[in-house]
Amino acid sequence: MTAAQVHETISEETVRQISDELGEPDWLLETRLDALDALSDLEMPDVIRTPGRDWTNLDALDYEDFVDPLNAAEDKDQVGPDEAEVLPFAEAVDEREELLKEHFGSVIDPQENYLTALSTALFSTGTLVYVPKNVDAEDVTIRTTQNSQSLFNYTLVVTEQSSSVTILERQDTGEDGVAPDAQRGEGGEAAGADGDRYYSGIVEVAAGENSHVQYGSLQDLDEETYHYSLKRGEAADYATVNWVEGNLGSRLTKSSVETNLDGEGSETKTVGAFFGHNDQHFDIAARVWHNTAHTTADLVTRGVLDDEARSVYEGVQDVGREAWDTNSYQRENTLMLSDESEADASPKLIINNHDTEASHSATVGQIDEEDMFYMTSRGVDDRSARNMLVEGFFVPVLEEVEVEELRDDLDTRVSERLRE
Amino acid sequence: MSSEQDQLKETNTEERFAFKKEESAAVKSDKGLTEEVVRLISEDKDEPDWMLERRLRALEHYQNMPMPTDWPGQPDLSELDVEEIIPYIRPDVDKREGADSWDDLPEDIQDTFEKLGIPEAERKALSGVGAQYESEVVYQNMQEQWEEKGVVFCNMDEAVQEHEDLVKEHFMTSCVPPSDNKFAALHGAVWSGGSFVYVPEDVTVEMPVQAYFRMNSEGMGQFEHTLIIAEEGSEVHYIEGCSAPKYGTHNLHSGGVEVFVGEDAHVQYSTVQNWSKNTFNLNTKRALVEKGGRMEWVSGSMGSKATMLYPCSILKGRGASANHISIAFAGEGQDIDTGAKVYHNAPRTNSTIESKSISKDGGRTNYRGLVHISEGATNSSTSVECDALMFDNESTSDTMPYMEIDESTVDVAHEATVGKIGDEDVFYLQSRGLDDDDAKQMIVSGFIEPITEELPIEYAVELNRLIELEMEGSLG
Repeated sequence: MTAAQVHETISEETVRQISDELGEPDWLLETRLDALDALSDLEMPDVIRTPGRDWTNLDALDYEDFVDPLNAAEDKDQVGPDEAEVLPFAEAVDEREELLKEHFGSVIDPQENYLTALSTALFSTGTLVYVPKNVDAEDVTIRTTQNSQSLFNYTLVVTEQSSSVTILERQDTGEDGVAPDAQRGEGGEAAGADGDRYYSGIVEVAAGENSHVQYGSLQDLDEETYHYSLKRGEAADYATVNWVEGNLGSRLTKSSVETNLDGEGSETKTVGAFFGHNDQHFDIAARVWHNTAHTTADLVTRGVLDDEARSVYEGVQDVGREAWDTNSYQRENTLMLSDESEADASPKLIINNHDTEASHSATVGQIDEEDMFYMTSRGVDDRSARNMLVEGFFVPVLEEVEVEELRDDLDTRVSERLRE
Repeated sequence: MSSEQDQLKETNTEERFAFKKEESAAVKSDKGLTEEVVRLISEDKDEPDWMLERRLRALEHYQNMPMPTDWPGQPDLSELDVEEIIPYIRPDVDKREGADSWDDLPEDIQDTFEKLGIPEAERKALSGVGAQYESEVVYQNMQEQWEEKGVVFCNMDEAVQEHEDLVKEHFMTSCVPPSDNKFAALHGAVWSGGSFVYVPEDVTVEMPVQAYFRMNSEGMGQFEHTLIIAEEGSEVHYIEGCSAPKYGTHNLHSGGVEVFVGEDAHVQYSTVQNWSKNTFNLNTKRALVEKGGRMEWVSGSMGSKATMLYPCSILKGRGASANHISIAFAGEGQDIDTGAKVYHNAPRTNSTIESKSISKDGGRTNYRGLVHISEGATNSSTSVECDALMFDNESTSDTMPYMEIDESTVDVAHEATVGKIGDEDVFYLQSRGLDDDDAKQMIVSGFIEPITEELPIEYAVELNRLIELEMEGSLG
């Protein structure tokens, strides 16, 4: 499978212009140009395949139409407490070049696949979160509202020894979702096919020794947006990297949340929640690599599907040869509200060290008839009963979300969707 | 070598096949699977034209299909050179007693038989030297008893001649078409031998129908085909290939099993396989289950260098059900990639999959399973349970389930656990006087009990013994 041809404006000039506007040093420009060069050789990210079908068809996406890098527009809030540095990328380039040089592309290879390379070459916005030694930083918020046809976002989180940070990231689409330039199509139509948009986000987390990172994300893009996201953390000795991955919006999402447990005694917990309706398609992966001794992982995902929505879930627990005394758990539950929806799942265990306690489970089902009967027999109407049961279904994962604001946000959005 | 010489060599080979048929049985051509080879097999068997046509169509599929090399974590097939293997599969029909002697068997297989405590006469039968084995007597009795009721149990080659209409209708048509996968296509082109079982409406065959290593006693049996047709309301239990090591000189086994479970019929297919450790075991086994029918697969995969085997049930009719029970054991150098596939294509269909695996001394086991619930398969349910036990840090155990759920009124559950053999359990047993090995064996026996209890006692005992021997490391 060959990668799709990209838009003719995605050229060296485009990349140089973006890099220049951010005031980047040469090494970073080179990284971008190398990624651009590599595009023609790179493949789409892997998707699950079973006989006769690819679970998500990324090759069908028309990047010619999506990508309009020079007209990127957004509203962004990047706020954090004084103890930590939360810098827009252009500032980070000035103030923290050494840190960027050390970590940029170290957790996620820019040339890992076609979409990471595209992101690396074209990203025009981003955030650096840097937490010095022994500092506890709460309430870092990165809110991105996409106001253009395409937006490429990059986030780097670096925590030093014995620090901690809580980050809440949100993506949504603004009122004037398409950039003025893109709107100049004939008859005032949006330039993209049917107004399709593209959002791409890369997140690298380098968690230093004994540090604690909580990274919550709530994706609420509009349903004409195609969304690619790759988040990966590297945990040093005794570090913890926890993820909350909420997916509600987008037309199609391909999202992967991953942790390399590289340090002795490191830990990760991933809590995922998604709610698909209409013809949304979520391809969600949660992956963990146990690379050393005494590491622990817990992956929990719950999703609800209505209408013709489809979910694809892949969970991977990979226990390496050197990962002695590993604990690794995974649960995935999907609730189907409609006959037209589809829920596909593949929770995988790859175990190379026998000193492991590992389990995974996955279930798919519909709302329990007895529960419905119980509710309706107590005077709750069908619709309300169903809504309450759906909200109740999310409770076990919401309880795992330690960031109150994110938990409330998710809860609210779920309730809103149920009332729609 | 110049291309002219190449051509010359090829021509010679073709000539040998074409004109020296009698000698060709002994020919070990260095050329691969060709139309001539396929025609020769068919001619040797005096097959009707339609079967030859099917073989040739399968050959075409085989030649057009790529090797399966892009599955995540699949066994390494790079050492499998089908072109080298093909010449060995041509059945030597004139020497039904088999070509090799007991002494020619690989040492590990001789050892296995010794250690299983199988008497010499039986060993010879098992090794394919040609003595009759008791199970054939059982089969004879069975025939007499049920013949009147119309039950058929015979060699597949015979069935082509004697039950042509039934075979023509069912053989690699709707159940396992040769286009299914590369090795099904290969099988379709060169298949030979195997079992044919036909059970008429409402007939219950009360004792298991057994094909105990019959293949080897007839010569080369690497591509045997088993076709089971159970008509409406009938019931049969078929057991095949138990602890059946193959010659060291063969290294590909690509069997095909097709099972037709009629309305309200019940078929159980059980097998305990213990191929020699240089065998690539790449099979296609599938059942089509009609309304109210029930299919049960029980399999133990012990031997082979690499196994890729995923027995499949297609639940076509309302209320059809399938049970898959499997146990895999991978020792040194072995990669046992096995699991189950179930397609729920009708309402109220049920399936359960229970998989146990043990890996030891660097072996790898993988559960690879697909459960597909089609739109309209309302009120269906499936439950998948996989447990893996690992003995040491050289071993690997993977679980790769795939679940495609197109229907909302379903109940789908998958669960898997992996763990090492419990230190505390071993300690407990040791403290009560068992030595380390015995303690571990006892734990493993308990671990696989759900499987063994589905098997007739003699097979269960044998499976246990095989595992004990593997655990002692006393098998080659």
